[in-house]
Amino acid sequence: MATNAVNEFNQQVKPVSLWADAWKRLRKNRMSLFGLWVVGIYFLVALAAPILPLYDYTEQNLNHVNLPPSLKPAGVVAVAQEQKAIDQITDLVKNQGRADLQPNLDQKIAEMAQLQASLAADPTSNNVYIFGTDYLGRDMLSRVIYGGRISMMIGLVGTITAVLVGIIIGAIAGYAGGRLDNFLMRFVDIMYGLPYMLIVIILMSMVPQGTNSTVVLFVAIALVSWLTIARVVRGQIISLKNSEFVEAARSMGAGTGRIIFRHLLPNTLGVIIIFSTLQMPSFIMNESFLSFLGLGVSAPAASWGTLVSEGVQGMELYPWRLLVPAIAMTLFLFAMNFLGDGLRDALDPQSKNRA
Amino acid sequence: MMKFIIRRLLSLIPTMFIIITLSFFLIHIAPGGPFSGEKKLPPHVLANILKKYHMDEPLGAQYLRYLNDVILHFDLGPSYRYEDQSVNGLISATMPRSIFLGFVSLLLSVALGGAAGIISALRQNKWQDYLSMSVAVIGISVPLFVIGPVIQLIFAMQLHWLPVTGWINSRAGWVTLIMPAVTLAFPYFAYIARLSRGSVLEVLRSDYIRTARAKGLKESVVIGKHVLKGAMLPVVSYLGPAFAGIITGSIVVETVFQIPGVGRIFVQSALNRDYTLIMGDIITYSAVLVFANFLVDVIYGFLDPRIAYK
Amino acid sequence: MTEEIILQVQDLKTYFHTDEGIVKAVDGVTFDLHKGETLGIVGESGSGKSVTNLSIINMIPNPPGKIAGGQVMYAGKDLVKLTINELRSIRGNKISMIFQDPMTSLNPYLRISTQMIETIVLHQKLDKKTAKAKAIDMLKLAGIPAPEKRIDQYPHQFSGGMRQRVMIAMGLSCNPEILIADEPTSALDVTIQAQILDLIKDLTARLGTAVILITHSLGVVAGMCDTICVMYAGRIVERGPTTEIFDKPKHPYTQGLIKSVPRLDKTSGDRLYSIRGQPPNVIDLPDCCPFYPRCDKAMDVCKRKYPLSKDVGNGHAVSCWLYTEAK
Ligand SMILES: Nc1ncnc2c1ncn2[C@@H]1O[C@H](COP(=O)(O)OP(=O)(O)OP(=O)(O)O)[C@@H](O)[C@H]1O
Ligand SMILES: [Mg+2]
Repeated sequence: MATNAVNEFNQQVKPVSLWADAWKRLRKNRMSLFGLWVVGIYFLVALAAPILPLYDYTEQNLNHVNLPPSLKPAGVVAVAQEQKAIDQITDLVKNQGRADLQPNLDQKIAEMAQLQASLAADPTSNNVYIFGTDYLGRDMLSRVIYGGRISMMIGLVGTITAVLVGIIIGAIAGYAGGRLDNFLMRFVDIMYGLPYMLIVIILMSMVPQGTNSTVVLFVAIALVSWLTIARVVRGQIISLKNSEFVEAARSMGAGTGRIIFRHLLPNTLGVIIIFSTLQMPSFIMNESFLSFLGLGVSAPAASWGTLVSEGVQGMELYPWRLLVPAIAMTLFLFAMNFLGDGLRDALDPQSKNRA
Repeated sequence: MMKFIIRRLLSLIPTMFIIITLSFFLIHIAPGGPFSGEKKLPPHVLANILKKYHMDEPLGAQYLRYLNDVILHFDLGPSYRYEDQSVNGLISATMPRSIFLGFVSLLLSVALGGAAGIISALRQNKWQDYLSMSVAVIGISVPLFVIGPVIQLIFAMQLHWLPVTGWINSRAGWVTLIMPAVTLAFPYFAYIARLSRGSVLEVLRSDYIRTARAKGLKESVVIGKHVLKGAMLPVVSYLGPAFAGIITGSIVVETVFQIPGVGRIFVQSALNRDYTLIMGDIITYSAVLVFANFLVDVIYGFLDPRIAYK
Repeated sequence: MTEEIILQVQDLKTYFHTDEGIVKAVDGVTFDLHKGETLGIVGESGSGKSVTNLSIINMIPNPPGKIAGGQVMYAGKDLVKLTINELRSIRGNKISMIFQDPMTSLNPYLRISTQMIETIVLHQKLDKKTAKAKAIDMLKLAGIPAPEKRIDQYPHQFSGGMRQRVMIAMGLSCNPEILIADEPTSALDVTIQAQILDLIKDLTARLGTAVILITHSLGVVAGMCDTICVMYAGRIVERGPTTEIFDKPKHPYTQGLIKSVPRLDKTSGDRLYSIRGQPPNVIDLPDCCPFYPRCDKAMDVCKRKYPLSKDVGNGHAVSCWLYTEAK
């Protein structure tokens, strides 16, 4: 049948595979294709970061503090920055009658000489910081990439944990039914009523100072995020439980666990994939949210949230320190959301356009 | 209906009880306490302090004492860190601002998000639809703590239209409310716009709308009388989660805009391990949320005739 | 039934423009409806019955659908060309519709009274109170017990059969000339199906309303209809008076349908006949008889061209090469 792709009326008889069909629909959706590309590139860069020609993201260089993004070598940019400051003060002193600033000017000029001397001796003056540097002279490009690694890893691990816990609990509740189901769902209801980020905040505050808070963060975020997936899986399983093919499997003597994993889960896979792609950006946001408040990953590691929160400190004078991580993060979240929306439309066309 | 309300109201009790218990034990199994921080206290001083706060008693006794204080006296105890301040005092001084900010943001997001969603659905695939859905995608993808600083950078630091930070007072007036409320409302505006667009489209495809059209009703009547009520129900049931999100988000917004609300106290208490304050915050937040969810359920019950008769 | 024609559908074509291609859901449908007549449209799922009838009152969702050609003449006007306002004064007033699924066809958030009264007020220009009295009368006619009480309830307080009665009462509340019932009983229990059909038959006979009854089942049309149209893949392949169709079916498809109706007078134990194969999908269908792959009497010409309709007498017409001379 598969080779015979045309029927009596010369019409295409297409193989009806859910996945092939979904892929076809996804390919037509330009925004989600764009999302797929961007997400792919981000993951590639994050994976390859150690072998990419990047400056060390922890290396501080006090000669290169707060340099704006530029394609020129750091030495040149630093001198230009200093010169701009000198020009400004000179202008104030000469044209605006602020003679009282003369000492400042002298000091600046002395600093300039010093800077030039130390730059000449410093081999790193030839470094190029296309995204500028932060308040400790660290390369923003490499910080954003390594920050992204952490954020994406938290998103990924958090999603996987939440999905696994959710699947197991949802499957148990849906399959067992009765009292156990009642109990579990009541528990889920109560958990739903809780402000879950607040619980994560408590958990984070309990971490003893000095421990690796990243791991705790994974666990904390994941532990409170399995609720939705548990509900979805339970619902799907209940609706599938009585369908014919499960009856058939059971009549052939398949055990409960086997039925769940062989027959029921593949049927809920679509929903789980959609949920995961939409959940990952929300994990990344939540992690960044905590890091922004100072409750997230601890230094020297940095996530996008840490970088944004550092950037906010000097945003009036050095806006790139805020904008570079903010744009990097936003672009990724955009892409994930487009991809998630596209996957939902492709895998589950009935729920089209749902928020 | 009355029965439904009472039953729903009674179900709040175990929820609150679980929240109190959970947060109490979570906090007390945590390694390290508020007084095991940076500076080492001399043992006898520490013993005195522990005694003062009844922290030398067994955990069970502390728990019962706490339950008794909270449930019977609405007393959340003293703050460990802010000396001579009670948790009740700290929270009641700051909570109203946060709730007010949250409420304004919720109203903003429902009104604008609902309108944008309905217009998008009615003008599907026209420029109105593309415009509002693009804005919505921004709202969903860009975190609060990016939106906040960025609009601060633009509207306060560059354009000088609005004050950078601060909260409503006699001098600055109400303008200080604008940026925090807009920032906080934005993500929920986005969700609600997408949600209501989707549900209007779904209702438009439903059989009963086909019936309404087949009766010869004007399109405006079909939309206004037959579509909107059903389409807005998902938005109503989203109000609970939205309010929870807004409450959480207000922590960031209060930090960014330096608003003396309960969110900042909460973050401070978490950073300081001020346990009574953390618990007090959690319990108050939860009470607000649980009550908000209850209100949402009641509103839903009024709107959907199928609920009331169950 | 009189000879006066009140609705004339001519060469109606409704196409859907989808990603897969053009779906010719209705492709050249022609029939007449006489005053007070009950006309049955029978066909398999997907043959275009619903689309035909939605096209009559111009309620095809656009996009993707579009009436691509043909006429629907009613009261001297072509409904296809009317403005939306003119159409609205006909919908629910002169021509009303009942749909398949009574569970979802009533608005769950509005009281029955609201939904019935709005139609009556709109078309009959009555005040609300009179309209409500009229609505209660209609519910009583439709066999709803205690209508004065039940009218203020919500749809979910009614059973499926009751809701269909409400739909019928609502559909007939403005004394329409034509009632289109799209599979009014398919979603109901077998026991209730007969009651609902009887109700439609009874009420429309009393009010002199012409009915277009859409159904899958020949059994239903046999008992109800004066005339039958058999639809296949967007076309009417055979039409004629009920007795003619049942006694002298011409089209092989109609013959197959009749053979597959379970009958009490046939010797039991025989396996029920069923037409082999599947109905075609109607995307980009070439110009041939769409039934030929399933037809026992298929000839070469069937694959090349669709046969014109041929009148075989007694108001009986068929589109099949067996009865038409190939050029
Ligand atoms: N909105 C639409 N978009 C695309 N195709 C459509 C649409 N509505 C109907 N069709 C197609 O038109 C064809 C005829 O559909 P229609 O609903 O008229 O069939 P039917 O005879 O009423 O079937 P049933 O007995 O199942 O109700 C089908 O192939 C269907 O797929
Ligand atoms: Mg149909």
